[in-house]
Amino acid sequence: MFEYLIFFTFAAIAVIFSAIVVIHRNPIVSALSLVVSFFALAVMYVLLDAPFMAALQVIVYAGAIMVLFLFVIMLLNLAQTDEPISRPVQQFLGITGAAGFAITLIYYILKAAVIHTGGPAVFVADARAIGVTMFEAYIFPFEAVSILLLAAIVGALILSQRTSAIAKDGGAR
Amino acid sequence: MIPTSWFLVLGAILFSLGVLGVLTRRNGITIFMSIELMVNAVNLTFIAYARELGSLHGLMWVFFIMAVAAAEAAVGLAIFIALYRHRETIDVDEANLMHW
Repeated sequence: MFEYLIFFTFAAIAVIFSAIVVIHRNPIVSALSLVVSFFALAVMYVLLDAPFMAALQVIVYAGAIMVLFLFVIMLLNLAQTDEPISRPVQQFLGITGAAGFAITLIYYILKAAVIHTGGPAVFVADARAIGVTMFEAYIFPFEAVSILLLAAIVGALILSQRTSAIAKDGGAR
Repeated sequence: MIPTSWFLVLGAILFSLGVLGVLTRRNGITIFMSIELMVNAVNLTFIAYARELGSLHGLMWVFFIMAVAAAEAAVGLAIFIALYRHRETIDVDEANLMHW
């Protein structure tokens, strides 16, 4: 019973703050609402018996990625960008499309997508079990991710370089 | 134990909100945050099914999705900084150089 209360409270928080992310005009408010939504999702992961993933969600998403977003928003000084409605047809099609997508998705989930494996499966998702799976079955993808992150760092550095610097030593290279 | 389908419905609602943001907003950063929202909805679905099936492989997917999302955020935000330097705006309607 208590579990259900927690589920509905934090599901409501996640949905409401996600709506604020999409609707609000000020990107800083959007980013902070997104952090709240991520925390609510971390509670969902705890309810799903995956506390390690909840910790990862808080550290990586709410901690690292959202700080990056806030940094860029403040760096570009985007505090108040008014967004006049210039293409009403496009807006209407977007809202209709998203609503239709949501209704279809929920209809088919409730109709067909739930699988019943029969009896509660044994699900231990602590750090030890995750580590064993990660370094036995997924060691190669794990190493590939490190190369991906290195490539992302180099790409971000080159992209955010000042154009004059590129022009200056572009000929030398 | 809360039924798995409830988590799936929550994931579907969050994903649809992300779709709504991508389709209707024009501020590049907000569109980017909507994409992060969709990524998180997918993560929730992965973990819900991992518990349903009693398998840890869904959690491995979530781990790699998080790593890819971090890389994507770094490169995407760098692109927006470069765009802002050139155009003084991150309105995606203004970035139409390759538009037909």
